[in-house]
Amino acid sequence: MNKKFRMNPIMKKELVVGSRSIKMSIAILGINLFLTLIVILIMATTNLASGSSGYDYSALLMIFPVLGCVEVGLLSLIVPIITSGSISGEREKQTLEIMLTTPVTPFSIAAGKLGAAMTVVMMYMLSSIPVMSIAFVLGGMSWWALIGLIGILLYLGVYVGSVGVFCSSVVKKSIAATILTIAIGIGILVATSVIFYTWIGIWAYRESVGTAVSQPVLAPMVMMFNPYSPIFDFMLRSMTSTSVYGMIDNAWQTPALIGLIYKAWIPVSVALNLLVSLGFLKLAGRNISVTRNNKKRK
Amino acid sequence: MLEISNLTKRYGKFVALDGLNLHIDKGEIFGFVGPNGAGKTTTMRIICGLLKASGGSVLVDGVDALKRPDDIKRKVGYVPDFFGVYDNLKVMEYMEFYGSMYGMEKEDVDEIAVGLLELVNLADKQDTFVDTLSRGMKQRLCVARALIHNPELLILDEPNSGLDPRARFEMKEVLKNLGTMGKTILISSHILPELSEMCTSIGIMERGKLIVSGRVEEIMQKSMGIQPIHLRAMVPGMEADEAKAHVLTVLKEQPLVSGVSYAGEEYQIHYGGTEQQAAYLLKALVERNIMVSDFHREKENLEALFLEITNAAHAAQVHP
Ligand SMILES: Nc1ncnc2c1ncn2[C@@H]1O[C@H](COP(=O)(O)OP(=O)(O)O)[C@@H](O)[C@H]1O
Ligand SMILES: [Mg+2]
Repeated sequence: MNKKFRMNPIMKKELVVGSRSIKMSIAILGINLFLTLIVILIMATTNLASGSSGYDYSALLMIFPVLGCVEVGLLSLIVPIITSGSISGEREKQTLEIMLTTPVTPFSIAAGKLGAAMTVVMMYMLSSIPVMSIAFVLGGMSWWALIGLIGILLYLGVYVGSVGVFCSSVVKKSIAATILTIAIGIGILVATSVIFYTWIGIWAYRESVGTAVSQPVLAPMVMMFNPYSPIFDFMLRSMTSTSVYGMIDNAWQTPALIGLIYKAWIPVSVALNLLVSLGFLKLAGRNISVTRNNKKRK
Repeated sequence: MLEISNLTKRYGKFVALDGLNLHIDKGEIFGFVGPNGAGKTTTMRIICGLLKASGGSVLVDGVDALKRPDDIKRKVGYVPDFFGVYDNLKVMEYMEFYGSMYGMEKEDVDEIAVGLLELVNLADKQDTFVDTLSRGMKQRLCVARALIHNPELLILDEPNSGLDPRARFEMKEVLKNLGTMGKTILISSHILPELSEMCTSIGIMERGKLIVSGRVEEIMQKSMGIQPIHLRAMVPGMEADEAKAHVLTVLKEQPLVSGVSYAGEEYQIHYGGTEQQAAYLLKALVERNIMVSDFHREKENLEALFLEITNAAHAAQVHP
């Protein structure tokens, strides 16, 4: 079979249209200015901190975690914004209906929208590499840390993007979809943390009253569904000699098999969360196939 | 080509399609007429797989549209009653986009699109941004778009609504061209005369049912009988009022006259007879000392037929 690679048609169109809008160039410029500003601020702090005792480099070491967190934060805001109108916009223009009369499946419409958002994310990342690499070299981080950071940011983009496309398939207004996406993100964050700490709390209480119970070694599994947990592990590993596994193993006696899973926190958690985002995309596909007239007209 | 049997669609309790039966042969241009809310759009959306039917069956070229919507999508091109265009996209890119959704290669799409744009009179607009086109042009672009995958059945939902007369004319030319290409076309309108010129068959729909359908000529024939005859006349030696009374009396005596009205110096006679019988009516008038200055039957008016038929259907529903 001679099957040529074909880009998802929706993604392709999105890129053509997107490249013509000035919004993206402005956003890229803005983000890089912002990142540059942070690097300059940190360097200025370094200068101020260096007194008669010589040059103090400790502030430079802050560049990596600070920039990393800023990038994670920016991504968590930008992706909801760029995906917020992805489905509702097509619905409003009524082009969604026309798409549904073609053989393209609702799922691939959702996937195409995510793909388009991801290319935009890639552009942001690529454009910020110069600033980042200067900062990394100054901060004494390896190239691997930079590549790792980019990889993990891409994963986060896919996750938030899927939630964003899903929200856009539910909510009409772009602003509402943006807020809903962020709310779902925070909701998952809070929910996993609450379950995790309650679990541990119950265990701690039981132990304090003397009921013999085994250690809650399974509790951290809940945190694997926290989309930010692999990023946390990544930061920990890049900057310190410990890791999430190290922390757990320090506190409790982890059975070998479970320990293996925690050792591979980043790949396991990323894989789990990518499955969750696939679920969001599927749900988006389901919502897309419900068209104007299937719903009650107002 | 298209075989709809007993199609029903309910929105909650509301019955939008009430056992619709419709048959369209290959190569026909079928005009689908009915007042707003008759269920035309609903029918079309069901054929395209955009809407689930509540019952009945739809066969397109022998394929069950309700059970295999994905197979139908390659056989049907749909021009909805709205435009559906993007900002920041050029005409040719728009065509390429839809082509790619059918899995077509760019080169093939380009080749076909050039031909289609020529067909819809947009050949010189390839590099124009879609959102800057006029309404008429957008509508014609939508027709070209719906043809990109060479569908066997083209469905157009009120393609003329909201267009100015010039754009309507151009659209009509495009559709006529399509007809000569041998495409099967289902086209809806709430205005009947608009369709009579370009369609080979017509179906009149009302409240989710097809009331009348047939070849345009047959339907036209039916419409003949109900066109009023216009008459201008005077009676020598009589005042206007007296003359009017006389003419009305004479007219009402005639067996085939079912009604007469008088407005603007003109009598409108509802006359059930044929053209020959109408000649005798004229003779009878002259014999009764009425001098006729104008006597003609109103042009075939499908609109009137349409109203007649839909009124009859209403009456039937009110008094079963
Ligand atoms: N989603 C819906 N919910 C409830 N009623 C609807 C819906 N869509 C259409 N209808 C009703 O169904 C009837 C047929 O509508 P439609 O097919 O659009 O008619 P037409 O295209 O002939 O004007 C109308 O009375 C309309 O109000
Ligand atoms: Mg309609």
